[in-house]
Amino acid sequence: MRDRDGDRDRTGHVADADVNEEDLKQRIADRMPQCGVTVPKPGRLIATVPRDGLLSLLHLLKTDGFEHLSLISCVDWIDEGELELVYHLWSQEKKVHAMAKTRVDRASPRMLSVILLFRHAQTYERELHEMFGIDFDGNPRQVPLLLDHWQGIPPMRKEFDLRRHARETFGVEERTDD
Amino acid sequence: MTEPDAPTATAAPRELEMYFGPQHVGMVGNFGIILTVEGDTVVRARANPGYLHRGFEKLMEYRTYIQNFPLVCRLNVMDPDPNEALYAMAVEDLAGLDVPPRAHYIRTVVLELSRVSSHLMWMWGYANLLGFETLGQWAMGDRDYVLDLFEALTGGRVYHTYIWPGGVRRDLPDGFADKAYRVLDHLQSMLPEYDNLFFNHRLFADRTQGLAVLGRDDALAMGVTGTNLRATGAAADTRKDEPYAAYGALDFDVPTMQDGDSYARAVVVRLEIEQSLSLVRQALEGMPGGPAWTKMPNPFKWEVPPGETYVKIESARGEAGFYMVSDGSDKPYRVHFRSPSYPVGILVLERLLQGASLSDVGHIMLSLNIAAPEIDR
Repeated sequence: MRDRDGDRDRTGHVADADVNEEDLKQRIADRMPQCGVTVPKPGRLIATVPRDGLLSLLHLLKTDGFEHLSLISCVDWIDEGELELVYHLWSQEKKVHAMAKTRVDRASPRMLSVILLFRHAQTYERELHEMFGIDFDGNPRQVPLLLDHWQGIPPMRKEFDLRRHARETFGVEERTDD
Repeated sequence: MTEPDAPTATAAPRELEMYFGPQHVGMVGNFGIILTVEGDTVVRARANPGYLHRGFEKLMEYRTYIQNFPLVCRLNVMDPDPNEALYAMAVEDLAGLDVPPRAHYIRTVVLELSRVSSHLMWMWGYANLLGFETLGQWAMGDRDYVLDLFEALTGGRVYHTYIWPGGVRRDLPDGFADKAYRVLDHLQSMLPEYDNLFFNHRLFADRTQGLAVLGRDDALAMGVTGTNLRATGAAADTRKDEPYAAYGALDFDVPTMQDGDSYARAVVVRLEIEQSLSLVRQALEGMPGGPAWTKMPNPFKWEVPPGETYVKIESARGEAGFYMVSDGSDKPYRVHFRSPSYPVGILVLERLLQGASLSDVGHIMLSLNIAAPEIDR
């Protein structure tokens, strides 16, 4: 898979294939002591940091070869009053998928945008703004993506009742199995 | 949907804002683009998705694991099976279910047939749009032979609800391999015809070479995967990078092109059809015996242990991923699909359309092989 660039493979990444997940775990722990790292199975890495450390963690991972942002996801832990942001990164030469996670307050969720690190994060953040109500400081395009003139609470939040919404909007009755 | 802060008046006296779609030459009613044009040159483009937003991820939080099984294939009508495979792989990972080797091979057959059927459907749309209507009809007709195979195998032509946690829903029916070989032979014999009529045709090359060029570095920086990435020279393919199903045991190359233009993207799809036919043949020939599924727990009382997982496969369009969180109950706590069309259909499309001619907008969009249902979910 090498081409004439020498130490770069055909996907453009610098080769670092000998590093395994445990080495990565140690490397992150050395440089970011506040970060909790686990390796749930081969090829997967989970790094959890407080909100303030997330950009440093993503920067660290990116310079370490995790250049592909697959997805930014969010999980609403309503009982704990927090939203968990999950940044999914992939390293082509290490063949490892990393999840960088942090939590933000559910009442007024704010996060720094990562578009300077990953350009296409713009759309993922735009969707999370729409679906979970998270403000991403620095993202210039926090406008509706999929919904049409939505007025209610962000619909992917756990307190949004889909069945009630369907009943009120479309007049669909609940089926009773008795 | 339409951005509310978008300027409704034209930005400059010579510029005109026009709604390209959702009903337009490149797409039938499910994806729009808001273009700002000056004359017939596109100055700015804004993707306008959302027409197919059905709220799958929210719906799935309300349904049990077995109820979600027939739902997930509906995420993408052109290429439904990867979504079933992703869901199955995620549940297997969380629940610790083993998949027998035979099921891995059958899944490979189904996934590659799905890729062929998706690429043929793409070819139908793309060739029609460029004026090669005969090829469009041929491709759609040949896709029906693949759908015949699906019908024989699963009972369904478009949606198959076949790959489920623990294996597949039923074993191969008698005589399936022979039927499949006949279809593979036919498709293989049609490829030179496709080439003569379209891929080697000068009009196709003149219309697409050098058009909407996406460089390799930009593609990598913008999350592009699949055929669009491989058209820029990067040989990234989940089937090689993180083998699943039976891909680790099969022999195949990852076709690439270098130029990253509309032409390169189309040729990569054409090369992949040939490779997929070979993969189906290899999987059928190497098909091991044994069971095609492991016994699942009682689906009406099935609780999946708490945890989270991310699984991914190479769908017809690129990296399709699935993030699932379980809280230990009988329903998923959170699911999130990573669809390959998502980064491509919004930011990359908007960028490639800048400066394009209005007459090229439809087929630039189609050259990117965007599936609107995947974006909207």
